Amino acid sequence: MSSSTDSPTLTTETTQLSPQPDTETAKPTKKITLKSSDNQIFEVEESVAMEFATVKSFFEDSPSTDTVPLPNVTAKPLSQVIEFCKEQIKFKANPDEAQKKKYNAEFVTEKSDKDLVDMIPVANYLEIKDLLDVLNQAVADRIENKSVEYVRSFFGIDNDFTAEEEAALRREHAWAYEGVDED
Amino acid sequence: MILHYFLTVSVTRHTKDLIASLSHLPFNIIPSKQKRFDRRMELSSGSVEGGVPFNDLPEECWANVLSLTTPRDVCRLSAVSPIFKSAAESDVVWQSFLPHDLESILSTAPDGSLLMSSASSKKEVYFSLCDNPIIVDNGRKSFSLEKKSGKKCYVLSAMDLEITWGDTPMYWTWNSISDSRFAEVAELKDVCWFEIRGKISTCLLSPETLYTAYLVYKFPPRTYGFDNQPVDVTMRLDEGEIGARTVSWNPQGRRRYINGSVTVRGSVHYPKERGDGWLETELGDFFSAEGEDGELEMRLFDDSGHWKSGFVLDGIEIRPKDVSRAAS
Repeated sequence: MSSSTDSPTLTTETTQLSPQPDTETAKPTKKITLKSSDNQIFEVEESVAMEFATVKSFFEDSPSTDTVPLPNVTAKPLSQVIEFCKEQIKFKANPDEAQKKKYNAEFVTEKSDKDLVDMIPVANYLEIKDLLDVLNQAVADRIENKSVEYVRSFFGIDNDFTAEEEAALRREHAWAYEGVDED
Repeated sequence: MILHYFLTVSVTRHTKDLIASLSHLPFNIIPSKQKRFDRRMELSSGSVEGGVPFNDLPEECWANVLSLTTPRDVCRLSAVSPIFKSAAESDVVWQSFLPHDLESILSTAPDGSLLMSSASSKKEVYFSLCDNPIIVDNGRKSFSLEKKSGKKCYVLSAMDLEITWGDTPMYWTWNSISDSRFAEVAELKDVCWFEIRGKISTCLLSPETLYTAYLVYKFPPRTYGFDNQPVDVTMRLDEGEIGARTVSWNPQGRRRYINGSVTVRGSVHYPKERGDGWLETELGDFFSAEGEDGELEMRLFDDSGHWKSGFVLDGIEIRPKDVSRAAS
């Protein structure tokens, strides 16, 4: 900045072309600190944090911030989400669709049901579309042809139906219950 | 703490400014922006402890997961919880199970546009197409969806098939009968050269699906010449043979074979009752690979040279192979 103020001509030109050069310029090496709801601190490259649309829009308004509290996100799924996004940045730099597909498949294959289920609300909240697509497909594959009880426990969902309501739904779609996998 | 306070204030001010500056834009832009502002407010407020409860995920998230399962899964899993039920009814889910080219398929059906306009939801369109096949291609084919998977099913009517001597009234006649979905069926008067060919462009079928083709027909009370002789069936894709088998006309063949009183060659396929008054004979399987387009031909030829009469041909059905039934 000091060097540009030394040259009046340059400053004028810059000001005319871009009225807010400081706030708009990305700093590739900058680190961003994310703080999970359980008070764990994650220091990530700015490019990784910008994969989170929610965090990105936060920075668009408050560019001077460097610590972002994530009150809806616990440390474990956040660390896994960061791990995924770091890899996606590499694929952005060096596109290789086959390798990316392979990585995405391995990423979900090695995760437990609970890990996948815990990451979905995080990916949804942080608006990471690519990860959400991968997680949705992985979860869909794991609940295919499973029983109602299995899926409730898979997601940790409470059954809010009355016994009558549930029985009516089961009768309505009786054909869909034949030959489901054993729990 | 002080930084946190300033952050909250600064975000609030920006939010207001931005909403004001957005107010001249089309209204549909604002809700999604608003949603993001809300999230950002949550980011800075720090009011929620712990993770997002999974039970509180919006319905659209569940709908996105359900869209990636199958229609059968969606119907079953509607009983998981009220939010699952709500997602399982949504147009997002059922649109994903309807064929992408449905509009162009229905454009050749006289009542196609009626179906789309009269249905109150995509789910209703889906089940209507499962339960009530519609006549397409100017009356030559019928189109439906397999209920459990949403895969496309076609019946090529007798009018859509090549029947040797089919245009000679001495040998074959064309009549309207009440138990066919088509305007006309082909009835055999008398012939010794019995040959039927059906062709379909494979791009009409659902991709990545194993299909089975069936000849759909019946024998009227007076029938003659359809005995236990072997009948030749070949399946070709773009002129290249992809399958061949022997079939028999005699529905009793299997029983006689089991009793050991008649010797037949291995893997002979026999007619089965469809439960709708028609018989069907399996002609062969075909796997429709993604992105491959060709012409599938099914040919049935009875070269026994016997004179035959009394046979009613409804058409050739092509539907996904029932793997569970085939395995049992």
